[in-house]
Amino acid sequence: MSLRMLLSTLRRHSLMPILVALQVALACAILSNVLFMVQQQLAPMLAPSGIAGDELILIDQMTPRQHPWSAADVRRGEQALRQVPGVRDASAAFGLPMVSGALMDMALQGGNGAKVGVNGYLGAGLVKTLGLQLVAGRDFLPEEYRDFGMGGVGNAPWDAGAPQPVIITRALAEQLFDDGRALGKVLTDPGDADDHGYRVVGIVRHLLRNQLSLAIDGRSDNTVLLARRIGSTSLLSFAVRVDPPISEATRTRVAEAIKREFGPTMKADVIPRISSYAERRANAFKSHRAALWLFAVVTVTVVVVTVIGIMGLTGFWVQKRTRQIGIRRALGARRAHILRYFLIENALVAGSGAVLGMLLAVLGNRLLMRHYELAHLPWRYLPLGALLMLVLGQLAVLGPALRAAAVPPVAATRS
Amino acid sequence: MVPGKREGAVMRYSLELALRGLRRSPWSTSLAITTVALGLAACMTTLTLLHMLTADPLPGRSPHLYLAWVDTVQAKPSDYDSLNGVTPENYFRIRMDDAQALLRAHRAVQQVALAGLDASVGTADGDHVQPDQSLLGTTSEFAPLFGLALRHGRSWSAAEDEAHSPVAVIDVDLARKLFGTVDAVGRSIRLDKAVFRVIGVSARFAPQPHFYGLDRWAFSDTEAERVFVPYTAALDAGLKPGGWDRCDEAADKASRALFDVDVARCEWLAYWVRLDTPREVADYRHYLDHYAEQQPLDGRTRQKAQLFSVAGWLTRQNAVPDNVRLNVWLAASFLLLCMVNVAGLLTAKFLRRSAETGIRRALGASRGAVFAQHVLEATLVCVVGGVLALPLVLLGLWVLRMQEQGFTDMARLDPAMFGALFVLALVVGVLVGVLPAWRASRVEPGLQVKSA
Repeated sequence: MSLRMLLSTLRRHSLMPILVALQVALACAILSNVLFMVQQQLAPMLAPSGIAGDELILIDQMTPRQHPWSAADVRRGEQALRQVPGVRDASAAFGLPMVSGALMDMALQGGNGAKVGVNGYLGAGLVKTLGLQLVAGRDFLPEEYRDFGMGGVGNAPWDAGAPQPVIITRALAEQLFDDGRALGKVLTDPGDADDHGYRVVGIVRHLLRNQLSLAIDGRSDNTVLLARRIGSTSLLSFAVRVDPPISEATRTRVAEAIKREFGPTMKADVIPRISSYAERRANAFKSHRAALWLFAVVTVTVVVVTVIGIMGLTGFWVQKRTRQIGIRRALGARRAHILRYFLIENALVAGSGAVLGMLLAVLGNRLLMRHYELAHLPWRYLPLGALLMLVLGQLAVLGPALRAAAVPPVAATRS
Repeated sequence: MVPGKREGAVMRYSLELALRGLRRSPWSTSLAITTVALGLAACMTTLTLLHMLTADPLPGRSPHLYLAWVDTVQAKPSDYDSLNGVTPENYFRIRMDDAQALLRAHRAVQQVALAGLDASVGTADGDHVQPDQSLLGTTSEFAPLFGLALRHGRSWSAAEDEAHSPVAVIDVDLARKLFGTVDAVGRSIRLDKAVFRVIGVSARFAPQPHFYGLDRWAFSDTEAERVFVPYTAALDAGLKPGGWDRCDEAADKASRALFDVDVARCEWLAYWVRLDTPREVADYRHYLDHYAEQQPLDGRTRQKAQLFSVAGWLTRQNAVPDNVRLNVWLAASFLLLCMVNVAGLLTAKFLRRSAETGIRRALGASRGAVFAQHVLEATLVCVVGGVLALPLVLLGLWVLRMQEQGFTDMARLDPAMFGALFVLALVVGVLVGVLPAWRASRVEPGLQVKSA
């Protein structure tokens, strides 16, 4: 039983194997693209946040009625929140995980020359309030903070004439320095040659960025903390750390404190959002979950359709060759031989389909990328899809192959 | 025999054979039908959404509508380059000075300046207050240019624009809600604190996409502007534009709050014109360029004036989300997979009865007749699949509407797409049938008779 004989059979009756291979190719192309998209949706959901999520209440969408809030207003707000029973700490902040309304977009360049886009989080005492884990260096010193606000008055200039302190994540340290040793080093802003840059004073284990669409491909921790305290501002948000588990009573008291302190000066028709980190997270990933369901349905349907297709075609093909199988059995071929023959045949057909499928997947991805905002399909997804199709092919052919192996030698004598 | 009659008989005979063929192996037939139905349903669901989203927002009018833009902001151009893919939004609005100059020049057939505003809307006595409503501050030619249909009363005149007259056109829904009657002409409404006189009541106006105010929303089932006022009067009443593009550098320094726009120094009015012929378009473009060149330079690099057609504008602003189109591609490739699958199933099915085909061939059936009969059978499978796909499409659209993504509200089947489903099913049927039918028609007459 040689490969040559197998190939010649395939050549002589080429329609069936071509149809099987074509199905495998299409399914392979679809599945490798879908698997990649699943990963893109899943990556930010699986990325560690680095914060004490179970203990956090986040408040945002606070806008003043007329004049921006002063730095003193903001300090008073923080104090009022800290005095609420059950609250451990509170910081006014600009940029918080799962809060997309306030976004700081920065570019940093490190020792190895790599330029990295990061999101910045600003606010006094955020390391403590968010419950971040410092793995090297220190937190900002109280005297290092300068004022920052959006649309307010009297903010300290960004550039203080010397590198300003910054706390980065471990993942960022590894992206910006080949040896990962970032502590004490200076990062520069590639877009602004005059800037004095940032000196790394601390490194935290994880900190999830708030631009969730970019929290993929190992970029979920591209986040920095800047030594800024919220000053005069027209856009205010707070991170409030409370005793776990977050109780309804604490939440109500926090809401009351906000209303007491800011109610009279707040815009009436914009209601501030006060919700736990877990709620924000669930909300932020709603569309991701919907997309994952869609992809799951697509995957299952493609798999079922392909398996049934292969089974149907192979079943017919086996039936057509019943007599041939009988002859081979009569000539001494064992059941195992027959089984192996059909398995190898299917592997060949599905394999060539998978190779074609990988080509189709790349081609489709490149073609769509030219017109739409679509990520580059990485090579590693191609063998994944191909392997999946090979396994499915073997499973699909098992039934017909076993039936073929069960053909008795006497079948050779019947037509 | 009359030729038509004979053809009819042949057709009926083929159909009968095809039906009999389908009934013979119900399992493989129903498998093929289900597969086709799944492929068609996926394709039609995604296509329907795309069809709804790419529909003409103002049929008959949009081919003549253009967005005109001139940049006269006194600020250094920022060569902002983000590694995070953050691009500042630009809705190509212009400054009020420029809008007024262009309106006065009146070089197009019709022209309007417009801006979305937010205010609470109530009756003059302070009852029935609807908080946070979307208003449109615009100019006198809005109603004729955009086809705002008036049920009662009139729209305002250019003179009333000039005079900053506090007059308003409201839509029927709002009229009914505020006054309990559709004819609200002559009544008064309160926008935040200022009182406006209702001079007209319009039909509901909600073009999809909301192309003249994409900064507010692009697609929505629920949002619509229900109050139209002269923007000059709206400014007098203290209403503020909800968004703006760039501002003079001087404005940034003077701004008191983040969400307050300096109406004199910022770009906040969208300027739409009607141009009927290519000649008019070219002339107007030339006029805009000329207008931009005349403005003082002030040390900034000059950006050119621009003119967008409605279609060009929607493409430029990416109004239809990319993943809607990507999903169509995904569904189309799935349909292709289903087609190959069904072609395989049918080939197996047809070849199983080669013996019978051989007899028919031996009895004188031509290759063409055999081919036609098998294509017909395949088409029948796909048409039944299409019928089965219909409830699946409705289910798919219902699932889409469950998503809270704004544009998904639009996912509804219209007669055009209903028809398209059946055309697609027919085309798919013929395409799927060709290969198996060709294979079946290759069956030799003699050989099969022997083995049968």
